[in-house]
Amino acid sequence: MKNKITLQTRREFLRATVLGSALSWTVPTFLADTFMALHGAAADSATQIVTGKDATILVVLQMAGGNDGLNTVVPYSNDFYHNARPRIGQTADTVLKLNSDIGFHGAMTGFKNLYDSGNLAVVQGVGYPNPNRSHFRSTEIWQTASDSDVIEKYGWLGRYFDNACAGADPTVGVVVGRQLPESFFARTPTGICFDNPQNYRFMSPEHPQPGQTDMAEVAYEKLNETDMAGADDNSGASIGSLAAGMPMQGGKAVDFIERTALDAQLSSDEVRDIAARVQNQAVYPNSAFANSLKLVAKLIGGGLPTRIYYVSQGGYDTHTNQIATQQRLLADLGDSLKAFVDDMNAQGNMQRVLVMTFSEFGRRVSENANGGTDHGAAAPMFIVGNKVKAGLLGRYPSLAPQDLFEGDIKYNVDFRQVYAGVLESWLKTKSAPILGKQFEPLHVV
Amino acid sequence: MLKPLSKDCWNYETAAHLLNRAGFGGTPEEIARLTGLGHDAALSSLLDYEKIPDPTPDPAWAVPDLGRAERIKAIQGMAPEAKRQAQQAEQRAQNQHIIELRGWWLDRMARGPRPFQEKMVLFWHGHFATSFDKVRDAYFMWRQNELFRRLATDYWLRLLTEAGKDPAMLIWLDQAQSRKEHPNENYAREVMELFSLGEGHYTETDVTEGARALTGWSLDRQTEQFIYRPFFHDNGDKTFLGLTGNLDGDDMMAQIVRQPQSAVFITGKLWNFFAGQPPSDDLNNALAEAFIDNARCFKPFLRVMFSSKEFYSDAIVRNQVKSPVQWLVGTTRMLQCDLPPAFICGAITRSLGQDLFAPPNVKGWDGGITWITTNTLLERYNDAATLVQGTTQQLSASDFALRPNGAGGLAQEKAAQRVHIGGVDLEKILAPDERADKDRLVAALQHRLLQSTLSNKQDEALRGFLDSRATLNDADIRNVIRLVMATPEYQVT
Repeated sequence: MKNKITLQTRREFLRATVLGSALSWTVPTFLADTFMALHGAAADSATQIVTGKDATILVVLQMAGGNDGLNTVVPYSNDFYHNARPRIGQTADTVLKLNSDIGFHGAMTGFKNLYDSGNLAVVQGVGYPNPNRSHFRSTEIWQTASDSDVIEKYGWLGRYFDNACAGADPTVGVVVGRQLPESFFARTPTGICFDNPQNYRFMSPEHPQPGQTDMAEVAYEKLNETDMAGADDNSGASIGSLAAGMPMQGGKAVDFIERTALDAQLSSDEVRDIAARVQNQAVYPNSAFANSLKLVAKLIGGGLPTRIYYVSQGGYDTHTNQIATQQRLLADLGDSLKAFVDDMNAQGNMQRVLVMTFSEFGRRVSENANGGTDHGAAAPMFIVGNKVKAGLLGRYPSLAPQDLFEGDIKYNVDFRQVYAGVLESWLKTKSAPILGKQFEPLHVV
Repeated sequence: MLKPLSKDCWNYETAAHLLNRAGFGGTPEEIARLTGLGHDAALSSLLDYEKIPDPTPDPAWAVPDLGRAERIKAIQGMAPEAKRQAQQAEQRAQNQHIIELRGWWLDRMARGPRPFQEKMVLFWHGHFATSFDKVRDAYFMWRQNELFRRLATDYWLRLLTEAGKDPAMLIWLDQAQSRKEHPNENYAREVMELFSLGEGHYTETDVTEGARALTGWSLDRQTEQFIYRPFFHDNGDKTFLGLTGNLDGDDMMAQIVRQPQSAVFITGKLWNFFAGQPPSDDLNNALAEAFIDNARCFKPFLRVMFSSKEFYSDAIVRNQVKSPVQWLVGTTRMLQCDLPPAFICGAITRSLGQDLFAPPNVKGWDGGITWITTNTLLERYNDAATLVQGTTQQLSASDFALRPNGAGGLAQEKAAQRVHIGGVDLEKILAPDERADKDRLVAALQHRLLQSTLSNKQDEALRGFLDSRATLNDADIRNVIRLVMATPEYQVT
């Protein structure tokens, strides 16, 4: 018979058994980390311990490929804009006007709706010094929050986990996708990643009838079981040495893997359970990207103790025939986000959720000969939530030719100021240890 | 000082350890053969690989494409739609080649006669981490791979110098664009920080002076070769790491290699790669000393390292997380089965976190416990089933994720194929009595796959599965093999 250990019973186990007694290496990572965090032995005093169900949630949304910010938040009354874009420029009669100068692309009714209801902030002209125009490198810069001439090993979200999430379940970070983005790279690997919850599991070769036991699954669980009862009588590792050297110093690699295996087993069970149990309460568009947000909504509704969700929408590299492509993508993006917000409101979770978009760069001011645009620099970011400082933040970058650098608009806001604001005012943690230095936070909430 | 392993410590376990680390592991028969040879001869059989013929042919496309520069120039002048199509066709060919290249290299690791040489190539690829994502040319990536193979265990100075003149590297770290008027500092910095000295062992002035010395090292796109361009070179005096004069790139590399720190740095990295954890300071100093004593040549140094008692200590043996490549290649060697088709291999190692020819950045792969996350662990457990059980199926493009920018991405047409993965031939790896007797089966599999034993509880788990079957059929046996691979113990070596 399966003796199921749930996340809940593991937390109880922690409180009842582990506190005050010696910890074994066989205790799962996040239990040991929680223990440390509770004792504050290794934790910085500013560290906010993850509080699970009631904590704030950040959804990071990557618009991969380099979204054309100028045709997204359109300076429709600007002559420089229309001169540079005679073919693909968006005109006053199609944009969704925000004021006498600026309007959203006509496909962005979802955005306009969120904007009008006070749930959307537009941060204008975001970028970084010495912009790089390679997708690969510029994505890396955004993911690691590094200066453009510095290669960082870890991602900014990974450093958030390392710095502020000792004590977290493995599900503190969830990526909907096939691959962990570089922003999740961390000293201590944290977070889970899957595109289809049904695949995030041990695939048994057996096909038991209802009521029958799947013997392969039983064997798998037992092979990867951690002997938690052993925590009491293990005298090998004292609390002190544990706190001094997580996760590996002096430890055996196989013990680390054992704990990860248990984390995998439990989070797999929980994710699949939630995905099957929780229903979406809004009508989403029919797209792969909308499906990602639907899944995130379910996981939030199911009470996963996640602080960071990561979703991605691709296709923004519009070198040719931009109009049709961007129309489709922005409509999908806005409508999906609108549905997600409706879903969160129906769940009663909207006050806990903040969505932040980013793209590796904006695009060149002048259109190219193929009805598209080439790689550029600064672009807007969008922040969605019912506590955001709604409206237009920062100022629209100048498009006057003398104000451009090599044909690109210059940034007014460093993206790391936005990260700093989100870290400090939303995730309630100090930003400097995570971003490597103190950026003046742009307080978006 | 490194102490040699005493003769009576050479046995099946130590031989297995050497083959796992200096190669990609092997069958019980291969381990037994190494054991019988004795430590010295066993080392020679791995390290003196020049004596073993390696008839692997080069990929058919691995020749200079002398028309490429002209072609790309012509494309620039085309009408928009034709230009787009021509560019896509060029890139499609490159993407196809890089997929083939991954398969070609993995096959050398899995079936080639010189596993140690290939292990060194893998080390150098992770060390001089260069990515196709920027280089965008499969021929250049192959050339670099061949350079690492040719100089795998050569002299440090020769390798460091050649690596800097390698076309892929010249593109990857922007040296190809450096001019005396505005020297590009990228290579000057990374060659010291990541390739030879480490942070804190040079100054910012060394970076700017080094960048000046390097001017003139360039890439000839016509011939697709390194070229020294005297007109690009800054002929003024520079002072680099204490040496002053009209230095060039060769002088710079020689001055780097002269630094004792560069011996400490590279031997520490080699130890970490082969032993699975960073050396203590004392051990690192002893390694550097051995390296310098051996004229900074890798082959004799590595022989000393693999002969040392330290390399076989309890803290080292079976305490290294297998890299995805080690996991895949080692599995096929231990189970004597074929690698899956090239693009499946690429997809497997990529989803496990090691995309060959596309390391995450110039720092290479972090390795160690960072290979293991909840999802990569479940992937390993599930990929094990595919490798062991075998499968033939129709795949669609959506079965494989493309990287956002499509580097090395799977072409649609390639994915829409029937894929055959052979699975394990049980008669090849298990004797009849092992296939019939549950105890013998479990023992044989642990011996083959772990060279070690599982805990009593894990033994019981395997027995519980087997005991639910009245008689053992081949599918059951394959399932047990997969279950042994779905343990934390199988993920280490």
